[in-house]
Amino acid sequence: MTPLSRRALLRGGLAAGVLSLPLAGPAPAGTALRPPFRVVAMDFGLAETLIEIGLPPVALPDPGGWADWVVEPALPPGIVNLGTDREPNLELLAALKPDLIVTTPYLAAIRPLLEGFAPTREFPVYAPPGGHPYALSEAATRSLGAAVGRTDEAEALIARAQAAMAQAGAGFVRAGIADRPVLAVNFLDTRHVRVYGSGSLFGDVMERTGLVNGWTRPSNYWGFSTVGIEELAQSPASSLLYLEPISVDTLDRLAASPLWNSLAFVKAGRVLRLPPVLMFGMLPSAMRFAGQLSRVLDRRPSDG
Amino acid sequence: MADITAAFAGAARPRLGPVLPVLLLAAPALAASLVNLSIQLPPERWWATLAGHGLDDTAVILALYSFAPRLVVSLLAGGALGLAGALLQQVLRNPIASPTTLGLEAGATLALAATLVGAPALVGLGREWVALGGGLLAIALVLALSRRSGFAPLVVILAGMVAGLACAALAALLALFNSHYLAGLFLWGAGSLSQQDWSAPAFLAPRLALAGLAAALLLRPLTLLGLDDGAARSLGLSLALARFAALAVAVALTAFVVAGVGSLGFIGLAAPVLARIGGARRVGARLLAAALIGAALLWLTDQMVQLLSGVTGAMLPTGAVTAMFGAPLLLWMVPRLRLPPQVGAGLVAHATGLVRPLPLLAGLALLLAVAALASAALGPGGGGWTLSGPADPVWALRAPRILAAMAGGTLLAVAGGILQRMTGNPMASSEVLGVSAGAACGLVVAMFAFDVVGRAGQTLAATLGALVALVGILALARASKGAPERVILAGVAIGALLDSLVSLLMASGDPRAVLLFNWMTGSTYGIDLSSATISLAAAGLALAALPLVARWLDILPLGGVSARAVGMPSFLSRSLLLALAALATAMATLLVGPLSFVGLIAPPLARLAGLRRPLAELIGAALLGSLIMVGADFIGRTIAFPWQLPAGLVACMIGAPAFLWLLTHKQAAP
Repeated sequence: MTPLSRRALLRGGLAAGVLSLPLAGPAPAGTALRPPFRVVAMDFGLAETLIEIGLPPVALPDPGGWADWVVEPALPPGIVNLGTDREPNLELLAALKPDLIVTTPYLAAIRPLLEGFAPTREFPVYAPPGGHPYALSEAATRSLGAAVGRTDEAEALIARAQAAMAQAGAGFVRAGIADRPVLAVNFLDTRHVRVYGSGSLFGDVMERTGLVNGWTRPSNYWGFSTVGIEELAQSPASSLLYLEPISVDTLDRLAASPLWNSLAFVKAGRVLRLPPVLMFGMLPSAMRFAGQLSRVLDRRPSDG
Repeated sequence: MADITAAFAGAARPRLGPVLPVLLLAAPALAASLVNLSIQLPPERWWATLAGHGLDDTAVILALYSFAPRLVVSLLAGGALGLAGALLQQVLRNPIASPTTLGLEAGATLALAATLVGAPALVGLGREWVALGGGLLAIALVLALSRRSGFAPLVVILAGMVAGLACAALAALLALFNSHYLAGLFLWGAGSLSQQDWSAPAFLAPRLALAGLAAALLLRPLTLLGLDDGAARSLGLSLALARFAALAVAVALTAFVVAGVGSLGFIGLAAPVLARIGGARRVGARLLAAALIGAALLWLTDQMVQLLSGVTGAMLPTGAVTAMFGAPLLLWMVPRLRLPPQVGAGLVAHATGLVRPLPLLAGLALLLAVAALASAALGPGGGGWTLSGPADPVWALRAPRILAAMAGGTLLAVAGGILQRMTGNPMASSEVLGVSAGAACGLVVAMFAFDVVGRAGQTLAATLGALVALVGILALARASKGAPERVILAGVAIGALLDSLVSLLMASGDPRAVLLFNWMTGSTYGIDLSSATISLAAAGLALAALPLVARWLDILPLGGVSARAVGMPSFLSRSLLLALAALATAMATLLVGPLSFVGLIAPPLARLAGLRRPLAELIGAALLGSLIMVGADFIGRTIAFPWQLPAGLVACMIGAPAFLWLLTHKQAAP
């Protein structure tokens, strides 16, 4: 579709622009590292950032889950499966001899273990007491770039993400749907949803693209609340975006519920399906979410 | 109602009897309902709504399709579970029997988990039917296993608990590897009552009415079932048939509730006990009272949950909250409860003949050593299976977890063996004592209230939790003069508290819950060599203490009178034994999590192998427990490489079928 190619063009142009700028100051210590720098990522968000700055990790917990939860950027082949993130396989880790392990505060409990195998760096994006994942991702991308000697590429990624936000926002203004309250949810079963609030990556993307998050109640430090579907009636949202995966019986069951059918966005026919986007991701996921928002929202004629 | 007598020793009770607890629960429930409804829909609009005006307004739709069906579901499900629990307690002659004890809820949950992961299209047929199928399979297995004993009460419970544990372990395994997908399943397990239409009441009402009718028809045989086996048989009652019919009704009641709204097990335990305390003596009165109390209890809980989530904005699954306030209630009731005398029919382990303990124990020890060395040397790597010598760095990675597995297995087996000996009850085990649960509760509180995430902080918190549970259990043992049944009942209550805490956290979707869940499944991952060595030394100390207490274990099961007759201080010896079992459990919990299935299966395995004297039985159990855990650790490490299954879960998967097989093949009909 056109939006995609438009974005790709813009992205390429911006990256080229940033790269052509003369960069002040010497590159930090990272450049002293050996060329085949082997990084193990313990988190999908860190892994997608590493891929975007051109240094894919050599190993990752559960790479098979990538296609279900992240999709984009595509995972290069040959990445070693470490098992679960709570219990990465230490024998494999020892055999891989990585130069660096990157992890998150969520895995603080196993950090002392990881440090036995390679220098280990922690990058907080989702951590108590919560915050704004987009801004935290920018900071984490910068320090990750510095840690692996790819500061230029990290800055380029940050700029690409900003451009993607601006572009999606401009599209919403053109379509006349800016300032419209929107809900972003995952269906957990036929009665409950996980709804993404102001402390979530999705919430931050809505804010940066000029949309309004229809969920204003407090959420946990990952930025979501788990609620019964009836709670959605309290929201002023005029559109509901739900992300895959969703189990097959959910929509059929809901179609039979008078309460569901009474919700404003159901009556208006604005219940929109999105492919998977990593909800606990970093800048690449933010860009993907913005792109998906444009795809489903821009296309619809504005009414009301 | 001449036979309604005081349930509390010495306390006179008004003639109101079991009506009193119903009123005490229903009055605040009604008040809370009115408050909740008026928050959603102002009272001045109630009449207009009833007259059929303004039906397309959002507030009215919420009241009609969310608030109202939810209230009706709470009444129906509570009543059904109360009745099911009362039926089970009557049939099994056991005051701690409940729908959960039959493995029914775990079976239903497993069926749902397996379907969601393996064949999501099947879910489209209806979640109710999947859950019902799983529950029925679990109960069919339990009944098939206990058929040879003529459905003797203790055998049914034992088979049910073990099958339930195995189902729960399998479901946990699925959840560990698919935590994102199964988020909804945790809600189901925690029993959220949230509704968006009338389909759940419409599903439940006709089915529960049929089951209730069947219960009424079963009144006379149920009364006779309360007598001992001989008396009932002499009155011409077919014991097996009557038990089967009553069990079937209780199962149907529970399965409908699990299928309709999810797991709300505590109601089925609390309501019949409250009915008995309220003074319902006759079977009919007790069944009715339990159903009414169950309905009122769930109604009250659910309305309080709604009030609370209106204030905090957070979603609380009602089932988890029920157990949360239900557990302290049970703890309060335990010292006041009159227990029927322990019924002897049931699991009497039949020794296969005289066995000389020493050669058998030496053989087991040798087997353990070989297994430990093999586990250290063998393992798959990036390029296939390899055999590595002690100099290989993988030994340094494997040795701590093997030692920890040995220590955990030993400690759990010793704790379980002591408890089973003391109580003469094969259901007793470390997790039943509640100390494992206490340790886990400590960890939960630290992780979620104080954001303690470091390993040292976690260890400290778990130790504190175990100690609090231990002191509480000991205080209770003192108050109840050390009567083992009461202590176990209290332990079950602490376990329910932990369950509710964890369910609550899982349902909140907080990703830290997955970390907790991981530890709860009994993982030996990531333990360092010094902690493993210290734990093994502690296990050695526990074994060394055994000869000092072995004589008590021989005498205590004979009863207080016999013990005093041979000059043994009954209270002191019981308390010391409890303390030893509790300490062993606390240490093991820190190593391999609170899923202490080994404590339940290792001692009976030792008895079935022919080790009959307490000391030989406990040492044999310790060796067997170690062996199971070492094997479990090895299998968990290698079977799904590079994925690792927690040793506690694998032990459960090995131990449960082995134990159930032994139960059916060694269990002669009475």
